[in-house]
Amino acid sequence: MGEIRLKNKWLPYILVAPMLILICVFKIYPIIDSVIVSFRPAGEWSFAGYINLFKDSTFWNSFWVTMKINLVMIPVQVIIAFIMALIVNVNIKGIKLFRTLFYLPFCISLTISTLIWETMLNLNSGVVNSILGVFGIEAQGFLIDTKWAWLAVILIASWRGCAYWMMFFLAGLKNIDTAIYESAKIDGAGFLKTLFGITIPLIKNTTFFVLIANTTANFLLFAPIQMATEGGPQGSTNVLMYEAYKSAFRYSNQPRAAAITTILLVIIMSITIVQNQVINKKER
Amino acid sequence: MKKRILSTILSAVLLISVILTGCGNKSAGEVTKENRDESSVDTIRWITMSSGEEGKETKSEKLMEEFEKETGIKVEAEYYSFSDLFDVIETKSVAKSTDYDVMLIDVTYVSKYAENGYITPLDDYFTDDEKAEFDNASYTAGVWDDQMFAASRNTSTQLLFFNQKLLDEAGMEAPTSTPEDRLTYEEVAELGRQALEKLDPDGSRGLIGFDFQQASRVYQMNMLPNSMGGKNINDDGLSLDGVINTEPWEKSMTWYQSLVNDGIASKGYSTEEVEAQFQSGNMVFMIGGTWTPSNMAVDDEVGCTYAPCFEGYEDTVATGTGSWYVGISSQSKSKENAAKFVKFLTLGSGNDLWLEMNEDVPSRNEKLQEIIDNPEADEMLKMAAYEAKNTAFPRASTPLFGEYSSILDQMWEDVRNGADVNKSIDSAIKQFDSAAAAYK
Repeated sequence: MGEIRLKNKWLPYILVAPMLILICVFKIYPIIDSVIVSFRPAGEWSFAGYINLFKDSTFWNSFWVTMKINLVMIPVQVIIAFIMALIVNVNIKGIKLFRTLFYLPFCISLTISTLIWETMLNLNSGVVNSILGVFGIEAQGFLIDTKWAWLAVILIASWRGCAYWMMFFLAGLKNIDTAIYESAKIDGAGFLKTLFGITIPLIKNTTFFVLIANTTANFLLFAPIQMATEGGPQGSTNVLMYEAYKSAFRYSNQPRAAAITTILLVIIMSITIVQNQVINKKER
Repeated sequence: MKKRILSTILSAVLLISVILTGCGNKSAGEVTKENRDESSVDTIRWITMSSGEEGKETKSEKLMEEFEKETGIKVEAEYYSFSDLFDVIETKSVAKSTDYDVMLIDVTYVSKYAENGYITPLDDYFTDDEKAEFDNASYTAGVWDDQMFAASRNTSTQLLFFNQKLLDEAGMEAPTSTPEDRLTYEEVAELGRQALEKLDPDGSRGLIGFDFQQASRVYQMNMLPNSMGGKNINDDGLSLDGVINTEPWEKSMTWYQSLVNDGIASKGYSTEEVEAQFQSGNMVFMIGGTWTPSNMAVDDEVGCTYAPCFEGYEDTVATGTGSWYVGISSQSKSKENAAKFVKFLTLGSGNDLWLEMNEDVPSRNEKLQEIIDNPEADEMLKMAAYEAKNTAFPRASTPLFGEYSSILDQMWEDVRNGADVNKSIDSAIKQFDSAAAAYK
């Protein structure tokens, strides 16, 4: 295709302008304002907010909890979403029904799905413990036991998240020319060889996007913690976002909240850059 | 040519829609503001608490109807759960929102909101005689920096409530006590255990023997260490070291943990859910406030007696106290009308109606004395008036009450869920020290 010449060279900018304005007003401006507030804890420019934060053991607990949950949750969601996409990518009768069913969890808001899971995981009346009881297993405090609570948060977020990312992987799989698979089949390639030699390399860009977007979304995870565990038990689910929320709304400490969210921004940007470097290195 | 026309039309449509959206919002805002200014004489907005259709919303609606009948001023309410109310007030106040006039304030947050400029002083609206109508403790709790910022709607206290129907079913007699000869916590726990053995030996009914209406909230749970002579916070209000890592706290928290571990008190229920268990007739004994009988969801007969004490600590009985206050937003455009509503709720006929509906303990001297002097006054209110006057133990006085309650609520919940008591206490001290560092 040749280059498309537009007679009205301003048209693209006009069309993009509304969204740009919205992004500036609702994303860029609050970020900049938050960074400024974090450096002005007492109305004057200083690092005191960050110094106090780095001396605070609660902050470091939140930092490690955030890293621990995300180190498990991000790969789990990406891998499961990819497997789900592989499953629903087959051409058999009725597959569209399964695509719909797999995607359904994402149609429920995170708030409602947290409420549903909170009810199901309840120690006293939850259906999960009822099922365990049938097999003679003692009721588990999924939301009140330190060994389970962080996994419960991962479960709640992933039940919905995997459905969403599956659709991106499915779109990526649909873009692969089937002739390549046919050639591989003729050459005698089996399922695993096809998967690792053809499929995964060819959806690299999709994987990259899912990884970045998933990382951003999961580092900012808030609803399941606020509704189901409130950062407990014993701070085991007290992620940075929840600590920022408490600082802003319970402690009325806006500079502290702003400092935490600024640090979160730096963490997410750093991880994104590293991911970008790793993937581009493999490409070279 | 066609493409040029199409692209021009498309661009124009997009531009017009953006402009209309902006103008539309601006117009709506202006209209709203004009309405607020024009109608502010006739309508005020109240942020208050709700506990469901049958609960506080219905009672609040009655109050608003009465106020409108008396003054012609309409009140519109926004209802929020206990947990959300604090967040909403914080969000609206920081944003300097003008869309509300009156707010319900937890007593422990009066100083914080006054310090942050969220609420306006009431000295111009209350005469000295009107201020003197409140009992001293209730009036003082609404004062910050020598100015009255909030008026007390009522005070509160704790009694031991029991489900008479369950006791009858278990073949057990209702407990009685006097201020001089109280039940001990240990005795109540034993009664709870006995009731569970008879009513729910295998746990299939999900009954609870003995629990606290506000489990894992400092408002109520702190009365346990207070009842052993423990304080709530250091005198400077900025430290917990030397206060909660003392014997009263360690002993009382260990006792409470054993109550949960023995299956007498509940585990896994949120604070709201625990109260709902008693309201639904699924709990035998509960430490609760005087609003308990009026909030029952079933017809079970509910009895009460004086709050328990710990064995060997009969002289240091302590009950949780303090309640809700009413204040005026500093951003309100209708402060005069808002003040009328505040006085209606706290001193006027509105307060009489509220006390009658919610059976709360009054914070007005006249009303307290009425109860004490009236031989035919409700027994529960008489007990409550006695406790409010004699065993009430104020909550921690600190500008960091948000941090204090958040950290200690979590500490109580961790202990309830089996965490090591001493480690939980040490963690709470550390966290509070970090929070208080900026103030020291």
